[in-house]
Amino acid sequence: MKLEARHWTFVGLLIVVVGAMLLGVRPDVTISDETQRMFEYIDSLPEGSVLIYSFDHESSSLPEIRPAALALVRHSFSKGHRIIGVALLAEGTGIGYRLMEMAASESGRQYGRDWVYLGFKPQYIAAILSMGESIEKTFPQDYFGTPYDSLSMLSGVVNYQQVAGVVSIGDGNMAVHWIEYGQSRFGIRISSAMTAAMVTTYDPYISSGQLHALIGGLRGAAEYETLLKIGGGGQRGMLAQASAHIYILLLILAGNVIYFVSRRRRD
Amino acid sequence: MDISTLIAGLLTIAILTFLYRDNPIYKFAEYLLVGVSIGYALVIAWTSTMMDLLFEPLAGGKFSLIVPLTLGLMIFARMVPRFSPLSRIPLAVLIGSGAGAAIPAMLGPRILTQMSDTVGNVVGTGAGPSFSGIVVLIGLLATLSYFYFSRPHQGALGLSAKIGTYFLMVFFGATFGYTVMSRMSVFIGRAEFLLSDLLGFMK
Repeated sequence: MKLEARHWTFVGLLIVVVGAMLLGVRPDVTISDETQRMFEYIDSLPEGSVLIYSFDHESSSLPEIRPAALALVRHSFSKGHRIIGVALLAEGTGIGYRLMEMAASESGRQYGRDWVYLGFKPQYIAAILSMGESIEKTFPQDYFGTPYDSLSMLSGVVNYQQVAGVVSIGDGNMAVHWIEYGQSRFGIRISSAMTAAMVTTYDPYISSGQLHALIGGLRGAAEYETLLKIGGGGQRGMLAQASAHIYILLLILAGNVIYFVSRRRRD
Repeated sequence: MDISTLIAGLLTIAILTFLYRDNPIYKFAEYLLVGVSIGYALVIAWTSTMMDLLFEPLAGGKFSLIVPLTLGLMIFARMVPRFSPLSRIPLAVLIGSGAGAAIPAMLGPRILTQMSDTVGNVVGTGAGPSFSGIVVLIGLLATLSYFYFSRPHQGALGLSAKIGTYFLMVFFGATFGYTVMSRMSVFIGRAEFLLSDLLGFMK
C-alpha cells in the first residue's frame, strides 16, 4: 500500500472532522437574515395554516439537507400548522415521507388530521401548474392510495388559495420552477431549504422578494436549530465544518507557499 | 443496530474506499447505487404515471387518454426507419407545449422582475439609492458588456468588460466556496451517521 500526498490530505481531513465531532462542542452561530426571515415566517403563521412541503431532492444530498428539513417540519408541527407533503423528484418520495412521519410521531401529530403525504407526481412543471388549479385533480389520492376527499385535513383545501406557502426542500433548480410557475402565476409564497452549493443562485430571487426566505445547507440548519433552541444535525456538524474549512484554508496557504518557494529556488 | 443501518454503514465505507483508489468494493457499491436508484425511480414512475394517470383511468372508461397513449407510442416509431418520421409528431407536441408554458413563465420572473429589482434598488426607493444596489447595477452592466462580442473589447468597452470579469470571478469564488461547504456537509453527515448510528460513539 503506497500512500501519496492526496491520501495524507484525506487522512488529515478525516482526523479533523471526526475529532471535531467527537469533541461534541457546539460553537455559537450567527443568524443570517434569510434564516431569521424563514423562522419568523413559520412562527408567525396562525395555528392551523396549511403549508406544502415539497421534497425536491435526490438521496445524495440527504446528509446535508435533512437537518434543515427536519428543523422546519418540527417547527411547523410545534406551531400547529397542517402540512401537505409532496415530492416532485422520484427519489425524494420515500425520504420525505420518512422524515415527516418521524417529526409527526415526535410531536404527536395525527396522519390525515394534521398532516398528509400525497407522494410523487412526475412532470414537475405540470404538477406545480396543476396544483394551482386543483390539488385534488393533481393528487387524486395520497401516498397510500386513500382518496383525497377521505382525508379530513384536506377538506376545503382546493388549490394554492387555501395554502399559506410552499417550502421546497431542494438540491437543484426546483425552487426556481416553484417561483416561475407557483409564485409568479398564482402568487403563492415560496420559501426553500437548499444545499449550500445553490445559495448563490438564489440570492437574486431573495433580493427581489420572489423567494421569501431560504435556509442554506448545514449552516442554515444550525442557525434554525439555534432559533428553535433545539439540538440537531446542523449544530452537531458546525464545529466539524468550521474545522474542515480552516484545514482547507491552511492547505491552500501551504500549497501557495510551497509553489512560490519552489519557483524562487528554480529561478 | 438494525440490518438497514448495517447495510447503509457498510455501503458508505465501500464508497469511501475510492479515496484510496478505484477498487472492486467501490465499484460494487457504485453499481448498486445506480441500479437501486434507477429501479426505484422506474417503480415510482410506473405506478404514479402509467398506472395512476393512464391504465387505471382508461380501464375506468376515460377513453380520451387514448390520444396521449397513441402519441407516446409514436415516439417508438423512431426504432423502425420506415415509420420514424411519425416520432416527430409527439416531439413537436412536447416541444411546442413545453416552450409555450416555459417562455412566458421565464420571461417574467427571470428577466423582467430581476431587471425591475436591479434598477429599483438604485432609483425606485424613496430613501435614495443604496450602495449595494449601485454595486449590483454596475456589476450587471459590466458583466453584460463582457458577453458583448459584436465589437472588440477595447477602450471603454474593454474597461467595462475587464471590470465584468472581476465581478464574475467574485461570483465563481463565492459559488465555489459554497460548493466546498456543501460537499463538506455531505461528508460530515455521513461521518455523523457512521459515528453515531453504526458505531455508537456519539448520541
